[in-house]
Amino acid sequence: MLLADFLRFTYGSLKAHRLRTVLTALGIAVGIAAVILLTSIGEGLHRFVVAEFTQFGTNLISVTPGRIQTHGASLGAVNTVRPLSVEDALALKRAPYVQVSDPVVQGNADVKYFGRSRRVTLYGVGPDFSEALKMRVASGEFLPQEDPRSARAFAVLGSKVAREFFGGENPLGSRIRVGGERYRVIGVMQSKGQVLGFDLDDTVFIPVVRALEMFNRESLMEIHVTYEPTAPLAEVEQGIKRILIARHGAEDFTVTPQQKMLEVFGTVLDAITFAVAAIGGISLVVGGVGILTILTIAVAERTSEIGLLRAVGATQRRILLLFLGEAALLAAIGGTAGLLLGWAVALALELALPALPVHTPWSYALLAELVAVAVGLAAGVLPARRAAHLDPLEALRSE
Amino acid sequence: MRLSDLLNFAWQVVRGSPGRTFLILLAMGIGVAAVVAVTSLGEGARLYVVNQFGSLGTNLIIVLPGRSETAGAMPGVLVGKTPRDLVLEDALALKRSHAVRRIAPLIVGAGDVRVGARRRETPVLGSTADFIEIRRMELAQGRFLPEGDPRQSLPVCVIGTRVAAELFGTRQVLGEWLRIGDRRFRIIGVLAKQGESLGFNTDEIVIVPLAAAQALFNTESLFRVLVEAKSREQIRYAKEDVEEIIRLRHEGERDVTVITQDAVLATFDRILRALTLAVGGIAAISLAVAGILIMNVMLIAVTQRRREIGLLKALGATSRQIRLAFLTEAVLLAMGGAGVGLVVGQLARNVALQLYPAIPFQAPWWALLAAPATAVITAALFTVVPARRAARLDPVQALSRR
Repeated sequence: MLLADFLRFTYGSLKAHRLRTVLTALGIAVGIAAVILLTSIGEGLHRFVVAEFTQFGTNLISVTPGRIQTHGASLGAVNTVRPLSVEDALALKRAPYVQVSDPVVQGNADVKYFGRSRRVTLYGVGPDFSEALKMRVASGEFLPQEDPRSARAFAVLGSKVAREFFGGENPLGSRIRVGGERYRVIGVMQSKGQVLGFDLDDTVFIPVVRALEMFNRESLMEIHVTYEPTAPLAEVEQGIKRILIARHGAEDFTVTPQQKMLEVFGTVLDAITFAVAAIGGISLVVGGVGILTILTIAVAERTSEIGLLRAVGATQRRILLLFLGEAALLAAIGGTAGLLLGWAVALALELALPALPVHTPWSYALLAELVAVAVGLAAGVLPARRAAHLDPLEALRSE
Repeated sequence: MRLSDLLNFAWQVVRGSPGRTFLILLAMGIGVAAVVAVTSLGEGARLYVVNQFGSLGTNLIIVLPGRSETAGAMPGVLVGKTPRDLVLEDALALKRSHAVRRIAPLIVGAGDVRVGARRRETPVLGSTADFIEIRRMELAQGRFLPEGDPRQSLPVCVIGTRVAAELFGTRQVLGEWLRIGDRRFRIIGVLAKQGESLGFNTDEIVIVPLAAAQALFNTESLFRVLVEAKSREQIRYAKEDVEEIIRLRHEGERDVTVITQDAVLATFDRILRALTLAVGGIAAISLAVAGILIMNVMLIAVTQRRREIGLLKALGATSRQIRLAFLTEAVLLAMGGAGVGLVVGQLARNVALQLYPAIPFQAPWWALLAAPATAVITAALFTVVPARRAARLDPVQALSRR
């Protein structure tokens, strides 16, 4: 039997029962479409989270006081007996490969301007904050490069705060009151939008020592360190730890590279995507049962045909391959249809809900098609074996 | 045609091709079992979270410093500081409200705890005697922080079981001294083992009097104030009172966030319910696939049973009766599959319960009803086309053609 004959035979038997073929393939198609759609949403979400994080740069390391983590946040940032100081942040500038090191303390304060008042997120930061987090200044400048231990009372506004207070006016040079103290506005940040539910535009940035004074605390919440992107991460971490241990006498701080956090998020999101896709994949299994049922019926119907084939010299192997081929082809057709269906729905979703991140990687499409064919083959094994093991004499007589 | 005849007709078919019947039952069963198992997981997670929240205390109101103009960030994310602290006097003033039963101010922080040469870093909580009542925690040994003026700093502490085991091994811990930072505390109680609860392990904490924590962390500002309302109905009034009292104390400024346990709980409840519904829906897609399979098999059956149908019609069966016969068959198959699926789903739930006894896996009642109902309805819907095709057969042609 030539390959061409093989294909023609399979095609013929699929075409003879067109409705049956369509329905069986539809079963697989629905399953594949569900899996493709769900993994697309999962992958879109993954990319969304990665994008949210990497907009602050990927070569970022965060140093927090204390070694206990609860709810993913450092408990030491709230209160600690082993504080991180501004001097620690300055010392970290000497660590190998380090580009900038910037102290951060964050809080909530009332900002007043001409009788108007607003509660904002207040960041006490060093002059390198905008560089460390890759945030740009829209007008004016960021906090000036001066000794962070004796910084002047300058403030930089987030874009939303600037808009709420000043509207169309130029805020540069104005005096505002932050938590009761007077600050001169020297810059306005570019809009950054919401990042993971946190509005970065409703913020005011002031020098870190002034914020520590205002909040009456001695410990920083975090030190942002950036390193040369080509530097080996392990060595950078080592360098930071060596300096801080020398200053504190023990390892009473946590060093979290941005990349580690991304990995953790990635693993969690991948696990969720996989679980949801697996639930969607149950329909694929049911589709496989469909192929199994239809092929079992087909073998029963075509007993005499099989007998004839065997009588004219087709081997058992050949019969087996014929039916397996039919199953695989059915599944492949269904898989392709499902792929198109899932992709179309994903596109429609993207158009209808631009907020929902959807992304279908090509590798998934290929994988889905392979899975469909595999399901088809697995479902075809039993009926194909039954067909191959038919006794040709008995089979011919069944007519 | 009587009902028993209908059932008999369908039963003949079902028994006539057991392999086919088995496969259809399998397909339907997988679908129903998937829906039941998946919703069990979701519902289990929901009940778990609800129980965990409930065990935090009852009629709880939480006051945290700071307020954000733009909603969005969860209040729990706000670990930031404020220029005007929430202080002990604010907390004590809350007792003036008639709707408040008791309050517990709270300071948390990381402290390194040392006993001799052993040291470990643990969360340190500073609070008052009412804390244990509000949080519904229990003691294994000794007693909790003493009543009395919360402004007074006594050098005593209560520790979690894990801390006790790691610092003292099997030694008796009551009456021993330990060091946190540069201060010494005498252990007067050990908390009962409770384990992880919402990401916070109470076995690993050390509780000291509020004034001691203030000195330890060199801060006046409270992290939270826990307030217990007198009853469920009083929560609303208690919340209003808390807001008003603090506003008056803070020179008319609203600079705290007050959240009620019920509100947080309701949010979680809603999210987890929606999630369960969503995964249940995804699993239910497989029921549609099983429906397609039933349609396919029924179509084949119509072709194979032309003569039988022709004979029935020749004997006077109406189109309606033929349709009914096929529908009966499909519904019977679906019900059988649903039954199998329910059993398998419950088995899966039992296995999950064995593996994770802490989480109360349980299929929600709506899933137990909806899964079989969906199975039967899809089966009936997908049989409409084959049944009509059978009913439309011309008896003469059906009988004459071989």
